[in-house]
Amino acid sequence: MAGVAGGNDFQWCFSQVKGAIDEDVAEADIISTVEFNHSGELLATGDKGGRVVIFQHEQECKNRPHLRGEYNVYSTFQSHEPEFDYLKSLEIEEKINKIRWLPQQNSAHFLLSTNDKTIKLWKIGERDKRAEGYNLKDEDGRLRDPFRITSLRVPVLMPMDLMVEASPRRVFANAHTYHINSISVNSDHQTYLSADDLRINLWHLEITDRSFNIVDIKPANMEELTEVITAAECHPNQCNVFVYSSSKGTIRLCDMRTAALCDRHTKFFEEPEDPSSRSFFSEIISSISDVKFSHSGRYMMTRDYLSVKVWDLNMENRPVETYQVHEYLRSKLCSLYENDCIFDKFECCWNGSDSAIMTGSYNNFFRMFDRNTRKDITLEASRECSKPRATLKPRKVSTGGKRKKDEISVDSLDFNKKILHTAWHPKENVIAVAATNNLYIFQDKIN
Amino acid sequence: MGQRDIVSYETSVRRKSRIRTASTMCRLDVESDVKGPEQHGNALPSSRYMVGRGVKRKLSECEDQMLDLPYPQQRQLVLDLCLDKLQSCQRRAEPSLHRSVLLANTLRQIQREMRQEGGPHHPESPPPAPATPCHSPELPPVPSDRPSTPVAALSSSLLCEDDDAQSTCTELPKGPWSEDVGKLPDLLFGSFEITNSTSYLTDLQLDDIFEDIDTSMYDPSDFSVLACPPPRGSSGASLGNDYNLKAFSTCTTSSSTLQMCLNDLDHIMEILVRS
Repeated sequence: MAGVAGGNDFQWCFSQVKGAIDEDVAEADIISTVEFNHSGELLATGDKGGRVVIFQHEQECKNRPHLRGEYNVYSTFQSHEPEFDYLKSLEIEEKINKIRWLPQQNSAHFLLSTNDKTIKLWKIGERDKRAEGYNLKDEDGRLRDPFRITSLRVPVLMPMDLMVEASPRRVFANAHTYHINSISVNSDHQTYLSADDLRINLWHLEITDRSFNIVDIKPANMEELTEVITAAECHPNQCNVFVYSSSKGTIRLCDMRTAALCDRHTKFFEEPEDPSSRSFFSEIISSISDVKFSHSGRYMMTRDYLSVKVWDLNMENRPVETYQVHEYLRSKLCSLYENDCIFDKFECCWNGSDSAIMTGSYNNFFRMFDRNTRKDITLEASRECSKPRATLKPRKVSTGGKRKKDEISVDSLDFNKKILHTAWHPKENVIAVAATNNLYIFQDKIN
Repeated sequence: MGQRDIVSYETSVRRKSRIRTASTMCRLDVESDVKGPEQHGNALPSSRYMVGRGVKRKLSECEDQMLDLPYPQQRQLVLDLCLDKLQSCQRRAEPSLHRSVLLANTLRQIQREMRQEGGPHHPESPPPAPATPCHSPELPPVPSDRPSTPVAALSSSLLCEDDDAQSTCTELPKGPWSEDVGKLPDLLFGSFEITNSTSYLTDLQLDDIFEDIDTSMYDPSDFSVLACPPPRGSSGASLGNDYNLKAFSTCTTSSSTLQMCLNDLDHIMEILVRS
């Protein structure tokens, strides 16, 4: 796959935007997770209201092959409802923290969705036929009087309008005391892990009343708590390996074959701190908000507040690549601390060939880095750049004194417009970017 | 076919306290330009709201002010912010253990620094427990032990620093805050558990239970034993506010009952000896 920065080959252009336009954003509509399935045909989003919306890639028109198909709504369902913990007088939010697709094994699609407390396995199936000609009931469902039936017939399957049904198949509940932040399906397609602030559990997809605790970092005395788990992921190929990141900027790789409780890591990744850049906020900005293995399984990527780092799994003492996302914010950390933006958790993602990575920033900006050419680009997800197939113009934030034309100064950035969730199609150059309550889909321009 | 377009869907759940629109959160200035599709792609809107949650408007102002300050004042500013945030943690709609841990760590780091600098000027002693006469009808608050947590030590070091020459340190507001700081990490971190666990009792303010009890006969020091949480696995299931006294009785371990008996005897002996 060629490079991502606007060069000779690829230019990103607007494809679609989903969601309400008006300025008044209902909190329940804020998108909290975005995920393509393994083929890229389906794109799932979860929101703060506990709903999941799945978009399907329409087949390209045969008449106009130069137009890529669009994503349209395939299914919408309420995944989680708000709950109330009466003992603590606390609401348990219905916000969908993560969605992960299972690899497709038959005609139906399965995904795991989780809120702070409960994970659910949903089956999304299609129905395009129905049986007609039942003996014991009428077409409208009323039961027939059996004594009136004089002859029997065989029901016939008739085509009907396509109906997409989502049904909960499993509910994995009551295994997490703290807020779930990650779920990850294992490469064995039978198990998955779920991680909260202090513990990681391993589940079997068929078994809901039991899970194995594989990591527990809760100290005996809660007063000694200084570190929490921020993200966890299963290795894409090795079903015995997983990693988890912490709020102290470290990543631990564990092998489940070594012990039942993987409290002792197999590998420990940490970059030594640069003493010259130490500040009051050094620890806070080193907290890792997302960790993702590359598709190959050789590398992993971590996102902390100001940068994205690519690690070679064979080298623990420092990352092999570091990309600055918005270094101009380093001098503004106090303000960002004051308004809580410093605690924002940005995600990151790889493209299908692992040659490029993408992550979000503020002001509805998102950044893409080409690992081969070392070029990077900043783009904006906004309604202003939303003409169909309009090429996105690269954006630039001016750091120095003089602001050039078309540049935006740091002080003008809108810190309420944050892009925390992005996803890259596993095979094509199509990306989905969640900007608060809107979902933007961008594609490369086919020449 | 299913729906082809999304229209803004009805939100099924709207709770009054949690509706925060982008406009009310951060718009401190009225926007002079209305964003619309007719705007050119090149033109930037003339005004943008800068900082969320209605705090400072301009990033640069805070940063300039902060960087102008000498280091101890910078540190004090961060410390104040930290304490504010930790205090308001419980009130947030979405409590986050991650955030609290990061705040507590920052607090500890600053406190450690201040302690190193403070050096010989302030002792490590805990804040003196409020003096109460033996036979006061009012139960004295549980005296905090020597600061076992860095956060408790922070409160003590800050209180002691009032005597310092360093006038830059602002006084830690006294009252409920300084008493609670010692219990802060436990309360903070302990309250993040979601499920109905038997750790309910560890979160109780045990002080409140004892306020009604007439303690004129007992030595106040007896009650330090009762501040410990019950052993895990005790039947916490049926406890509610009405059963606080029952909780009180189930709280005590056998050793404390023994101690109370011994103190009874001592007291009686005293009376006998005096007479």
